[in-house]
Amino acid sequence: MKPRFAKAAHPDAVEVRPLLEGGFIPEAARASGFAARAGQACELWLDRRLLLVGVGPAWDERGAERAGALAVARLAGVARIAIDARRLAPDLVTGLAMGALLRAWREDRYRHSPADAALALARIEMIVDRPRVARADWRRTGAVLRGVRWARRAVTAPSNRLTPALFCKALRKLERLGLELTVLKPGALRREGFGALCAVGGGSVHGPRLAVLRWRGRRRRGSAAGDNGRRGGAPLVFCGKGITFDTGGISIKPADHMWEMRADMAGAAACVGAMIALARRDSEAHVVAVLALAENATGGGSYRPGDVLRSVDGTTIEVIDTDAEGRLVLADALGWAARELAPRALIDLATLTGSIVTALGHERAGLFDNDAALAARIVAAGEAVGERVWRMPIGERHRADLRSDIADIAQCARGRMQPDACQAAALLAEFVGEVPWAHLDIAGVEARAEADDRHAAGASGFGVRLLDRLVARWCEQGGGCADAADGRDG
Amino acid sequence: MLQIGFSSPAPQIDGALVLLVEEDAALGGVGAQADAATGGAIGRALAAAEFKGKAAQSTTVLAPGGFARVVAVGLGKPAGRTALQFEQAGGHAAAALTRQTEAVIDAGALTAEQAASVALGAVLRAWRFDRYRTKEKPEDKPRLVSLTLLVADPEAARAAWAGLAPVAEGCFITRELVSEPANVLTPVVMAERAATLAKLGLEVEVLDEHAMKKLGFGALLGVAQGSHNPPRMVVLKWPGKSGRGNQLDKPIAFIGKGVTFDTGGISIKPAAGMEDMKWDMAGAGTVIGLMAALAGRGAPVDAVGLVGLVENMPGGNAQRPGDVVTSYSGQTVEVLNTDAEGRLVLADVIWYCQQHFAPRFMVDLATLTGAMIVALGHEHAGMFATDEALAGQLLAAGIAVGEKLWRMPLGEEYDKQLKSDIADMKNITGRPGSAITAAHFIGRFTNSVPWAHLDIAGVAWSTKDAACVPKGATAWGVRLLDRLVRDCCEG
Repeated sequence: MKPRFAKAAHPDAVEVRPLLEGGFIPEAARASGFAARAGQACELWLDRRLLLVGVGPAWDERGAERAGALAVARLAGVARIAIDARRLAPDLVTGLAMGALLRAWREDRYRHSPADAALALARIEMIVDRPRVARADWRRTGAVLRGVRWARRAVTAPSNRLTPALFCKALRKLERLGLELTVLKPGALRREGFGALCAVGGGSVHGPRLAVLRWRGRRRRGSAAGDNGRRGGAPLVFCGKGITFDTGGISIKPADHMWEMRADMAGAAACVGAMIALARRDSEAHVVAVLALAENATGGGSYRPGDVLRSVDGTTIEVIDTDAEGRLVLADALGWAARELAPRALIDLATLTGSIVTALGHERAGLFDNDAALAARIVAAGEAVGERVWRMPIGERHRADLRSDIADIAQCARGRMQPDACQAAALLAEFVGEVPWAHLDIAGVEARAEADDRHAAGASGFGVRLLDRLVARWCEQGGGCADAADGRDG
Repeated sequence: MLQIGFSSPAPQIDGALVLLVEEDAALGGVGAQADAATGGAIGRALAAAEFKGKAAQSTTVLAPGGFARVVAVGLGKPAGRTALQFEQAGGHAAAALTRQTEAVIDAGALTAEQAASVALGAVLRAWRFDRYRTKEKPEDKPRLVSLTLLVADPEAARAAWAGLAPVAEGCFITRELVSEPANVLTPVVMAERAATLAKLGLEVEVLDEHAMKKLGFGALLGVAQGSHNPPRMVVLKWPGKSGRGNQLDKPIAFIGKGVTFDTGGISIKPAAGMEDMKWDMAGAGTVIGLMAALAGRGAPVDAVGLVGLVENMPGGNAQRPGDVVTSYSGQTVEVLNTDAEGRLVLADVIWYCQQHFAPRFMVDLATLTGAMIVALGHEHAGMFATDEALAGQLLAAGIAVGEKLWRMPLGEEYDKQLKSDIADMKNITGRPGSAITAAHFIGRFTNSVPWAHLDIAGVAWSTKDAACVPKGATAWGVRLLDRLVRDCCEG
């Protein structure tokens, strides 16, 4: 669905009017207790059906998104809504539309026939003073929305429809956006020494893949088309955990809720979503996404607890629990990226541990890093787009817990009640060398069990908007990935 | 406590000698003399052991020349070194001296403060809880009873040590309380032990179950009612600024969870590891040790410590999942899990604290959630704070004394998970984010007083020796909060 920008509402549309707290409020609404506080809504008949939504005491982008989402949440079953965005600044218009469209998202491709009233919403109109200008303003946000939708769709896709090979097939379609794709299949992975990724993928008939998606950055004005004209410089590199289904392997998971493990590729999906956003809005930044794709299945060829694996950088890893597979595939992906891509920074996203869900719940992702400046940028970008993260520690004890009797490092600590999220981050830190690096453990935020006023149910696409905003703030003004505030660039 | 003495370098030394050596530095001072006296034996032995003076490195040379033993302890590189490195060196020295009754540490190259730090580390490491060993052979017991530090200015070193020794004493009070088994240390006994601290000048008030019932401590008493051992609340007042007999003036307040044993109650815990629940009173133990430290060193500050002491047992009168209790604040709580009892105890004690003392700020300590261990492990305690300045001061104090904190988030989206269908709030949420929602529960009883909550579940007890903390009860928090008071609240 796209928003439609018009000067007046369609006659059949239910009109939505966002109102400021302390501003004008119709008497009938006031009488029913509506004070335009953030999160408040009130339905009225004034010639037509009308929904008032509260914005709170002042407008900002986040508040606009919240109001847009609230409108959609309260108008379930309505086919067409029109949001009154006249006299609002461009970022508030796009905020209202973005909030509404994100909240309206749902995945219908696996239904044979429409099931319920929520399916009815077919059109979101934005009533604005100058539709043409608003449409142009929307382009950039619309690109990000496309990225979020791709990620949500991928996370929702059942694992019989999204194997590592099918994931790569879906990536092929993105080449038309100007993204370059390289895929390493099992033979190449073995030859290149991806011992951890190959082991994790070894139990499944659907073999593993390493997919590398590159966006070289917008062409310079006036230069000829082709690679030569594109922005160079050290790339910012995203790494994504892409376990298309996680049974746990030989250390098999309990059956209860195992179906949720189709979302265990949400880190990879978020990376791809961000790449789509950057390509569609023709970002000037040089960015690469490295996706470690595998199915962690139980099979005759599965890897075992106790196995020792050799990762792509030569480090040996003792397997303790085959269900801690995400850190293994990321170890290979990060190690390879650090060596081959000369990144200016590495950021990985992964639905990595239950421990982070216990720590932070479903409201924030865990952030681990080896670089305080990079971490601060990520925190700020997350706050700006409402994908909030919380910085967590990698302590000496966490690394010491991974001592192995027979290999360079153990994959995880033994025993119950372990700070597994911190320990997993300590493991990943071993593979990035001196590269500034951050790890987002997005387990717990990749999907929502229930819809609420602000969020749709199901896949969230968490990370797409954060990464897009990070690139926009860090790598875009001033050209390439240069940034005056950042001492590393010369 | 290990006896500490300071004296000027003596011309003649024998027995056990400790040398503090900087990284990659040659032996100097007393070390050089001793090396010469042994014909270079010490230097050769250290070289053979590849002793480089790195921090935490320690090597023992047995019987060189006229010495019983010479212990070399590394100080690491001088750059960025803080008091902590000297404490750790003292701790490593004490660990290497358990077979000696007395020993000498050459601290001639150190300042008086640095020498006192070495002494503090040694004292903290040499502590042992020995009350219940009756058959241990004398030769198997650690023997170190006195330690003499050779310093340039013994007077100055003694003065520096006088400010630290009471903090060590406070730590030992805490460690002892935490180590005591639950059949010995009931709420009544723990209150009696706290009351003995009146000898330090603390004003002690003990509230029994009748007094608490009269006040309306429904949340705390609900936890206590399943046990034959009645509950107590102890208030320890330190009028370090206002003077004895005067009202405390806007004191700083410390509140501790003191569940002397936690079976979980009717929501009973699994048997494996339940013995650890004897230290579910570590928050209260820490507050008591801290107040002793502040009084012992005569801290010029008004402070109050409050501890809620209960035993959580599944007796015939125990509270049940589903019960609703009315807290002292008037807010009602639906008790969905009787094993989430610490927050119920703290709710009433914290409300009492802010009602009666109008504190500048409140810091509570509690072994509150297993989720905190899963989140951070055993290196950091979790800190939740509503006050940015207090949070920053706590973080800094933790780094200074090596009791590290990691700040955790609070937020409306977590708070709303406490909504109950029939009461003002429920006492548990689902596992996700449950250390955070526990903090929010407590926060509802702070009445907007600046507040920090330290979840010490992962740090109150240690299964491994650390440089200055033998395994077992750590007294984590005594030094941190003493440091906070020193740096931010005095004067």
